[in-house]
Amino acid sequence: MQQQLLEKIVLDCTSLSTREINQRLKALASEGVSSHVELLNPNGRHNLAVGIEYPINIRFTGPVGYYCGGLSDGPNITVSGSCGWSVGENLMSGEIVVHGNASANAAASAHGGKVCILGNAGPRAGISLKGGALIVTGNIGYGSAFMMQQGCLIVCGDAGANLADSIYDGEIYVGGNVSSLGADAKFEPLSSADWQRLEQELSPLSLAPQTYNFKKIVCAEQLYNFKAKDWSKWKDAY
Amino acid sequence: MCGIAGVIYHSLEYYRHLGSDLLSLIEPLESRGPDSCGVGLYGKAEQPSLFKVLLLAEGNIPWQEVKQSLSQLTEVVKFEDIGTGCRAVLRSEDDNCLNFLELRTELARSFPGLHLLSMGQQLEIYKEIGAANHLFGKYNLKGFAGTHGIAHTRMATESVVDTCHSHPFTSAQDLCIVHNGQISNYYKLRFALERQGVIFETNNDSEAIAHYLRYQLVQGKSLEAALNSLLNDFDGTYTFLVATSDKVGLVRDKFAAKPAVIYESAEIVAIASEYRCLLNLSEFDSQATIREPDAGEVNIWRAKTATCNSNY
Repeated sequence: MQQQLLEKIVLDCTSLSTREINQRLKALASEGVSSHVELLNPNGRHNLAVGIEYPINIRFTGPVGYYCGGLSDGPNITVSGSCGWSVGENLMSGEIVVHGNASANAAASAHGGKVCILGNAGPRAGISLKGGALIVTGNIGYGSAFMMQQGCLIVCGDAGANLADSIYDGEIYVGGNVSSLGADAKFEPLSSADWQRLEQELSPLSLAPQTYNFKKIVCAEQLYNFKAKDWSKWKDAY
Repeated sequence: MCGIAGVIYHSLEYYRHLGSDLLSLIEPLESRGPDSCGVGLYGKAEQPSLFKVLLLAEGNIPWQEVKQSLSQLTEVVKFEDIGTGCRAVLRSEDDNCLNFLELRTELARSFPGLHLLSMGQQLEIYKEIGAANHLFGKYNLKGFAGTHGIAHTRMATESVVDTCHSHPFTSAQDLCIVHNGQISNYYKLRFALERQGVIFETNNDSEAIAHYLRYQLVQGKSLEAALNSLLNDFDGTYTFLVATSDKVGLVRDKFAAKPAVIYESAEIVAIASEYRCLLNLSEFDSQATIREPDAGEVNIWRAKTATCNSNY
């Protein structure tokens, strides 16, 4: 008998524990279902879709809590609503799109993949980013990209104070105002390759990079090696 | 981690929801810390010159002697037993003759193990170790009506778990705070405040916030000015709520280290550590403004004062 392929699998979070939801998602992902999995009533619950290690299309029809999509490798997650702290924390690959605002630590320590916030992100967005891309169409908060190590952070709006403090590597693009830069971060002119990259990342979101006054921020590489004469710089960098 | 929550009503018809709304906001936050729970509730104001006083006993307290001792200080209008404690109403014609800190010191000296939890025309503080549901059940707080209130659930990090070290902390009539975070220059602040004559009751760093604010307000500063100078003087991580007879303030440290979500509709303002709690409000409206305070942001909301003649 030929198996009927469902277009959409619907799970109601209300009647399931967080562990049950994640086990169901993991089982579906490892079976390789091509259908969309829709999760109703997430109601700001924490730890949803955490540790999903295979490609799967997941959609949350409402706001989610902390760590949504964290520790995952390959899923395609859409959140129709806002999300709490640390969305996509430690993401290895895959894509998370949030149609709303994100609280603190968006894409914290993500190694790969893409996290897209179609709204504002709170403090410490892209903290310790280790690869991949974080795109925020609104503003980002205090201390974003703290200790960023690799990857790309694109912000169409304004960036809060102490942006890119103690950054090691990677590229940051800010379309609005930067309140202040942290230790060892510097502005750099955009090359045509940078504009191309912005075009490539933003045009799928129907945004034109030229309509923003993009600035590029990279590591100034002044604190890579300790020099005694730089004592004051080290002292000020915590 | 700790959980904090607060609620302010702009409309009289909601006053009767105060207890149940605060419980539904604070109960989910027990996952952030289940050590103790406490609430500061602002109910109907007593008549001018009357003060509500909440007392809590550790061990056996000779309540009749406590009552006698209070009678020597001032007129005792009401003195009722509430489980392990007592709720009294005292008359104080002259503000100076009854002062929260003096009364607390006086009672603690005469009756070791007796604690003055709160004093004020509106404020009543209830707190104990354990679950929110138990606290609300024990003191029958679900039906408590009032204009505003704050609540706390605690994960103890720096000091012991007992009722005295639980939040809310108070330092004056109708003033209390609930705090999530750690004050890293606590000992310096405590030393400075003690030199101004403040007597600390506990070793909890959050108590310093209450004393600091009282000290600033006594100097004649507005609540807003006091909170702004606190942002400069306090190091560490903190998101805290402060309530007075007619205001509720929310302060987030300049690193935005601890969470808070604000819900604002025409009738109600609610604050909670996490978004999911707000969904439990009896009058939750998805169209209301929901936002997070920025780093170093001070918010103050004005609360109405319900007089003893208000009907609700």
